[in-house]
This record gives sequence, C-alpha cells and structure tokens, in this order.
Amino acid sequence: MARNILTSPVDRRLFLSLAGAGAGAAALTACGGPSTSTGAKPSAAALDFDGVKPAASFDFWSNHPGKSQDVEKSMIDKFQAKYPDIKVNLVTAGANYEEIAQKFQTAQAAKSGLPALVVLSDVWWFRYYLNESIIPLDSLIKQLDVKLGDFRSSLVDDYKYDGQQWALPYGRSTPLFYYNKDHFAAAGLPDRAPATWQEFAGWAPKLKAASGAKYAFMHPALAGYAGWTLQNNLWGEGGAWSKGWDITCDSPESVAALQAAQDSVYKDGWAGVSSKESADDFAAGLASATLSSTGSLIGILKSASFNVGVGFLPGGSKAKTQVCPTGGAGLGIPSGVTREEQLAAAMFLQFVTEPENTAEFSAATGYMPTRTSADMTAVLAKTPQIKTAMDQLAVTRVQDNARAFLPGADQEMAKAAAKILTQQGDVKATMAELKTTLEGIYTKDVKPKLKA
Amino acid sequence: MFLALALPNLALIATFTYLPLINNIYYSTLDWTLGAASATVVGLDNYVAFFTGPDAGRVLGTTAVFTVATVGGSMILGLLVALALNTKVRGTTFARSAVFAPYVLSGVGVGLVWLFIFDPGYGVLAWLLRGIGQQSPQWINDPQLSLAMVILVYVWKNLGYCAVVFLAGLQSLPKDVMEAASLDGANDVRRFISMSLPLLSPTTFFLLITTMLSSLQAFDLIRIMTPLGNGTSTLIYEAYLQAFGAYNRAGYSASVSVILFAILLIITVVQLRFVEKKVHYS
Repeated sequence: MARNILTSPVDRRLFLSLAGAGAGAAALTACGGPSTSTGAKPSAAALDFDGVKPAASFDFWSNHPGKSQDVEKSMIDKFQAKYPDIKVNLVTAGANYEEIAQKFQTAQAAKSGLPALVVLSDVWWFRYYLNESIIPLDSLIKQLDVKLGDFRSSLVDDYKYDGQQWALPYGRSTPLFYYNKDHFAAAGLPDRAPATWQEFAGWAPKLKAASGAKYAFMHPALAGYAGWTLQNNLWGEGGAWSKGWDITCDSPESVAALQAAQDSVYKDGWAGVSSKESADDFAAGLASATLSSTGSLIGILKSASFNVGVGFLPGGSKAKTQVCPTGGAGLGIPSGVTREEQLAAAMFLQFVTEPENTAEFSAATGYMPTRTSADMTAVLAKTPQIKTAMDQLAVTRVQDNARAFLPGADQEMAKAAAKILTQQGDVKATMAELKTTLEGIYTKDVKPKLKA
Repeated sequence: MFLALALPNLALIATFTYLPLINNIYYSTLDWTLGAASATVVGLDNYVAFFTGPDAGRVLGTTAVFTVATVGGSMILGLLVALALNTKVRGTTFARSAVFAPYVLSGVGVGLVWLFIFDPGYGVLAWLLRGIGQQSPQWINDPQLSLAMVILVYVWKNLGYCAVVFLAGLQSLPKDVMEAASLDGANDVRRFISMSLPLLSPTTFFLLITTMLSSLQAFDLIRIMTPLGNGTSTLIYEAYLQAFGAYNRAGYSASVSVILFAILLIITVVQLRFVEKKVHYS
C-alpha cells in the first residue's frame, strides 16, 4: 500500500529511501559537467560570417591594464558614436590578468555569462586555444578588412599558431629598465641604462654608496611575473627557460645567469627583491633602478619625486646587445557566444586597434602602440620615454615556450626564483627540480593536445 | 507535517550542499582542464597522483601546521584575553568591543592592511625594526615566513571570537562552587586549573570544533596575503590554485577538495565520538 510521505511519520526506512532518492538524483545531475565523449574539433572553415548582422550589444571583459578604464570608456563612446546600433558593455572582470583568466575559465566551465571580447595575457591565450575557448580571427580579419600588415609584426605574430591568428595585440608591453637619474648623477654614472648586467654590477657599489637608497637595484616581485623578466637575465647569458619544447632551465648558461642574480642579493648585497611591486618600490626611492613593464611607465612618472630615466634591458656576457621579451595582453573572441556577438566584438576590436586609438591608448597607459602607422608625435612630445619602449621592440625576442605556453609554469618559475633569490637555495638543484616540474606539465597538459 | 515543513529546507540543502558535493566527487574522477568542453574519465588517478606526488606531504604538512597553530593560538590567547576581560576594571566594555572587532572585519581588508604592515621595504614593522638597527625579514617572499605571517594575522583576526565565547563561559560558571573553592583555600591559579578549566570544557569543545573547521577552510587571508600560495598552500588553497589559479586542473583540484572533505568528516566524527566524552556538561 502506498504511503503518503508528507503525512507519514519519518521512520528509518523512509529516511533512508528519501536520502537514497536524493543522492541518486544528485548523481544523475552530476553528469552535467564536461563531456567525456570525444568529438571532432570545430574547424576554422566553419567560421563563416557572411550574412551575419552584428549584435545590438555585447560584453567586453577587461582588467583595464595600465589603469586604462578611462581610455577604454572613451574609446567605447567613440565606437558607439560611429556605430549607434551596437552597445559595448565594459565589464571589470578582474584586477589583473590572472583574475580575468579565472573568471573567463569559470564562465567557460559554466557555459554561461561569456563575454564576446576578452583581454588575454601572453601566458593565457594559448590555453584558450588548446581548450577551444577562442575562435581564430582570420575570417573576421578578412571580412572586416583589418590591416594586419600595419601591425607591429613582433606583437601580432605572438598570437599566430597553427597557421591562424588567435588574437590581436592590445595592451602590449616589454619590461623597461627604470633608473633614478638623480642617483646616477650623484654616483657619477652616465645618464643611461647599462649595456650589460656586468656593467651594472660594476656601477652598483658606487650607486649604493652615493644614493642613500637601500638597494642599487630591485628585482621584480616574484609573485608577479618573475618568469617574464628573468628571461632577460637568462638570454643575456645564453640560457633560456626552454628552447622549443625542450626545457633548458638547468643548462650551465641558465644556472650561471640565475647564480649572478642570486649573487647580486647575497654575495654582493646591492640588490633587493620586491615584495609586491618593484615599480612602487622604485617610485618610493627604495632602489636606484628596477625592471618593470612599460605599462608601469605613466604610474611611475606620476608618483616619483625624482627624475626618472628609462632604457633598454641590459644584455649579458653572451648577448652583448640588449635582449628583451615581449609581454602584455591581447584581445580575443570567445567561441561560446553567438556569431552576431562575435562579429560585433570583432568590429570593436578593429576599432580599438586602429592607429589613432592605439596611440590614444598608449598615451594613457605607456603601453606600446600596436600599429606602425600610429601617429605618436603628440604622445611622444608629452611622454618621450615611450619612445624607448617602441625602439626596444627591435631587440625583442619571442618568449620561451615554457613560460608562455605551459599552464602554471609562470607560477613554478616564480617559486623557483623565490627559492634562489630569497632563501639562497642552490641554483643548480632548484633549476633541476624546476625542469622536472615543467617537463611534467608539458607531458601531461600540453603535449597530448598539440597537433602532430 | 514534519516533512511539509522540512522539505523546502531539505531541497535547498540538497541543491546547494549535497549536489555540489556529489558533482565534485564525480569531477575528481576526470582529467579535466578548467574551461575545456571535454574531459577524460581517469578513475582514481587524481588521488593516486596527489598521494604519490610531491604535493601530499607539502600540502598536508602546511595544512597541519596552519590548523594547529591557528586553533591553538586563537584558543589559548582567546582564553587569556577572556580572563583579562572578566575582571571588574574600567574600560572592559571598550576592550571587549576592540578585541571582537577584527573578527567581523573583511578578511580581504585585514589582509591588505597587514600586508602593508609586513612589507619589508616600507612597512610599519620594517620601520620599527630599522629603529633598533634590524633588517626586516622577507615576510612575503620567504615561504616559511609567509606561513608565519598568515598564521599571526589569522590568530589576531579570530582570537576575539574565542575570547568572547570563553568570556561567556567564564561568566556562566557557578559562583557558589567557585566561592566554596576559595573558602577551602584554593588560590586563583588552583581555582582556574581545577575548577574553571574543567567547567569550561563544553565551551572549549565547542570552540575546538568550530575553530578547527574554520581554520581548515581559511581562504581569504591566504589568497590576499600570499596569492602564489608559496609556503601557505593548505588543502583548500591548493584546491583553489589547481583549478582557478595558473594550472586549471579542475579534476585534480576536485580530488583535493574531496580529500579535504574526508578529513573534515573524520575530524568531526572523532571529536564527537571521543573528545566529547571528556566534556563535563554540568
């Protein structure tokens, strides 16, 4: 005889039945996560925008790199004046590249709330490509007649993979060598960045003695992007995090480069390691020089109470000319939104990367103009230091695969750097350990997803 | 009638507690990169990877140190503060509010302020140390000091909670029993050890369970003060870093969460079955 569960007293059997039913229902819904069946990857050929009308509105997720919220709003206003039928919703989706990536990945997993345009950093876009979270832009570039040839090739080529273009450059940066001109003058040093780290090691004792600053040089914060700036030290000594997909962080050259960095802190004592942001430490007068992103330029110039000089990153004993990695962020279009939204987002992407707009963005942030035809005359008259960042593009190198393409590698590099620079860990052993970790990440998380 | 009243709540609990829990157990059997549309079923491989890799010792060790230090620190200091607040002197009302205030503050705000205090470059602590000719330790970059820093701030933030609960316990102790002990010649220390502490055991037991569970789930301070988790990667923070940090290993992260859940369950059962027997309720 059937029981009315709403009126029957709850005995052990009924309770267990209800609990079992609940668990069973929950177990069934648990199957609503990622698909565990294999399917064909969508091909770029399927991305046809013929006859598609742009959406009336779309979301643009940004972390406002280089404190760019105001200039982003200004560009949106201009875009909406040009295209009154398209509304751009600017969403602050994080305070940095990691937070915006976290939000994007979570929305991707939830399969809802995705933007049509997203800021993606140098270490994230490749993961989005591997996860099929972004679309190749080639058909949109063709349809909208985006002048790809006018982009600075070293910046736009960073987003090419498998013969396709996966993003366009936006807030692109390189590290810069920032120095306190007053300190350099007091120490009787030339008003320029050092040509090599060896030259700076010769300057550092004089600088420390004459300046009164705690350190002659402040290594960038390890919790930030230590793996990025340390490429300069590694390349200068002929080392690298990796060459192709071979991890080379434990090569004699790489170990020598990081040993020199450790010596600057412990043996020679002229360098410190920033705890949070070396640009802030430098602007506060804690150190006479540091490395930081070009995106920090405007902030440093505003907050420093001394004359700021900028220069190329130094070379090393093997690389006599300066060597510098590119970095910063691009803009990509997610695959999980409608064609209409993708088209509208692409139109906005085209707009913000137009020469006059990239010049405006550069003036507001210090990031590099991404177009060769951008008229920078007014910008450079106001902030001549940006010219150094632009000129440095001539000595930039594409980042090591290990840093840019391996998930979590940047974090592992930062931890290894912390061991070397703040705990005086053995450099060779630390790099050997890092190599094992990075090879593990490559073998497990990347290699199976790469096309043969 | 009972079920009519209980079912809405049961439905909510099932939807927002048990369903995510079961989902999480399911995800822990997948090799799933967060953001990827597809995943591979790998059975118990994520658990095997955790326990056979370098993560288990590091993460479980950090979790144990953090939990013991924060629970012990909060409870011992909380009890001492409660004893001080239980005296009849001027200003105790203000002192009680001041002690409890950090507990209700946002962990993010607390973390940011303490980061400025601990900053070895221009923090208040570094300034004080320079005043006596000492260099500031590398609180933020050194993993061991980072853990010590987070523990100190966590204890500072939470001892007010323990103090207030202990204070309530102290004020509810039977006065006649305490007076009888005094008449029998027991001094303050003797009365505290032989009378107050045993009579406070229900309060101590309650605090032990609640502070241990909250310590094992502590997240905000760790996230704000040590975003890389270098030296401070407890089980819950490791789960966060693995899925939502740089690695995007959602399946592996789910397995770490399940391990944390199992540990919480075991601790609660052990406390209820064994520790509670030592509690004097009257």
